[in-house]
Amino acid sequence: MVTPDLSVRLGSLRLRNPVLTASGTFGYGLEFLPFLSLEEIGGIVVKGLSPKPRKGNPPERIVETPSGMLNAIGLQNVGVDAFLAEKLPELRRHDTAVVANVFGETIPEYVEVCAKLDAAEGIAAIELNVSCPNVEAGGMAFGADAASLARVTRACRDATRLPLWVKLSPNVTDIRETARAAEAEGADAVSLVNTYVGMVVDVERRRPVLANGCGGLSGPAIRPLAVWATWQVSRAVAIPVVGMGGIASGRDAVEFLLAGASAVQVGTASFVHPDASVRIAREIGSWLAGHGLASVREIVGTLRTGKEERR
Amino acid sequence: MPRDLSVEIASHRDLGGGNHLLEVEAAPLARETAPGQFFMIGFPGADTLLRRPFSVCGLPGTFDGSSRSAVHVLYKVVGRGTEHLASRKPGSPLSILGPLGRGFDLELGAGTEALLVAGGIGSAPFPALAAALGARGIRCTLLYGARSASDLPLLDWFRARAPEVIVTTEDGSAGTRGLVTDPLRERLARGGNVRILACGPNPMLREVAAIAREASVPCEVSLEARMACGFGVCLGCVVPTRRGEGGETAYERVCVEGPVMPAEKLAW
Repeated sequence: MVTPDLSVRLGSLRLRNPVLTASGTFGYGLEFLPFLSLEEIGGIVVKGLSPKPRKGNPPERIVETPSGMLNAIGLQNVGVDAFLAEKLPELRRHDTAVVANVFGETIPEYVEVCAKLDAAEGIAAIELNVSCPNVEAGGMAFGADAASLARVTRACRDATRLPLWVKLSPNVTDIRETARAAEAEGADAVSLVNTYVGMVVDVERRRPVLANGCGGLSGPAIRPLAVWATWQVSRAVAIPVVGMGGIASGRDAVEFLLAGASAVQVGTASFVHPDASVRIAREIGSWLAGHGLASVREIVGTLRTGKEERR
Repeated sequence: MPRDLSVEIASHRDLGGGNHLLEVEAAPLARETAPGQFFMIGFPGADTLLRRPFSVCGLPGTFDGSSRSAVHVLYKVVGRGTEHLASRKPGSPLSILGPLGRGFDLELGAGTEALLVAGGIGSAPFPALAAALGARGIRCTLLYGARSASDLPLLDWFRARAPEVIVTTEDGSAGTRGLVTDPLRERLARGGNVRILACGPNPMLREVAAIAREASVPCEVSLEARMACGFGVCLGCVVPTRRGEGGETAYERVCVEGPVMPAEKLAW
């Protein structure tokens, strides 16, 4: 049996396989070196980087939910300068695509981080975080409507020549509108979905479990919602789609690929099994081989709903 | 360096009061784990998603009759994860990630006496700790407080192995009625070269830390927190800490900078 070709192309960026690790679930990548080889995945998306270090939200920050978890970390991170000085040089010793997730409270803050990353060596792409539900300013505030998403995308597009991805929030009425706005303002790809806003209540204390009140829901619980969003967006835009939401196996990843994603991100699964991303990449290969397919690119967007035939 | 291992339950004892002692054979963990470190344990086939954190309770030599590759975990049923774990029989598979985190400082110096202060199931890390300190010739006294007599797991083990055990219960059903901080104050009033190593609920730890500070006695506390990953990336398990007296506060991870932290570092 021929080993299937797992490589994919997202615009100008080539990845050895379609599996990336999702921002906020993979630290700065280095934390995972005891468990996996970064050379076996397509790339990593690092924790959201802001202009200055951020302290994050007070605890409690996480709670498990049925087939998922709710988090309100509040983008605690070392800041873009410390990332470039301390983390990136280490990461560059590994042959993997490093995607920098960017967060700001204002458009000038987004632009500042993008410009610094643009000047650095070793960044494969920028992913704009306009969809974090757990911060007071910035984040989801920019991703909640197409007009504000368009403004931040345009400003960042003008600040960098790096491939620019926009990570979309599912907490909108129609995710296709924000996806189209990102495309119109020069994004090279959209990634989706970020977490769904939710709440867990401690009924004894009559308070939310999380100190932040609400948090973002991730894990297998959101997978059908995320597959649906991927399917909708992939038909609404011409730029590549990076799909994510509760992927825990190769078969889960194939759902997103069939629904139109050119690549996927693995998130919460890396908390449970640190080597989940590598296993998922291998399982995609096995699935393709088992179906006699030569390349992962053959299956992207080939979902059949049955409706076309009936028409 | 932590590893992710697939193991089977070697033995599983119900100690009463919801407390259980779990044993697994995991030679690399038995070799590399230090007292105060912890494991993330997953339950394949269960309907829980995340693993759960457990302190190491026993290492080779801690409990009589266990093998050189055995590690023990002492836990209390407190939620869905531990409830499920308690139903698992010997031979049942588990995934175990470890050793993780920062353990207790074992270099106490000659002539220092260790005061181990436990609140209920907070005694979990102390058998391995007491055994390691004993092997270094350090005298250990256990101050063991709980709500009631059924909340004092492994009390017989401590009585057999620690030179001195002082028990308090809130309902008076075992030892002296009262809180564990009462005998701690009395013991510190006698002076001497002592160090406190404490584990239990946060209100108890805060009180122990305050008493230690007043008496100018060094104190380490072992903290508990909800965790998704256990190796430093989810940032879910943080506690507020302070750099220096009156210094700026930050959030540090219980799973990497802890679970054992110097009490004076905590901003609580």
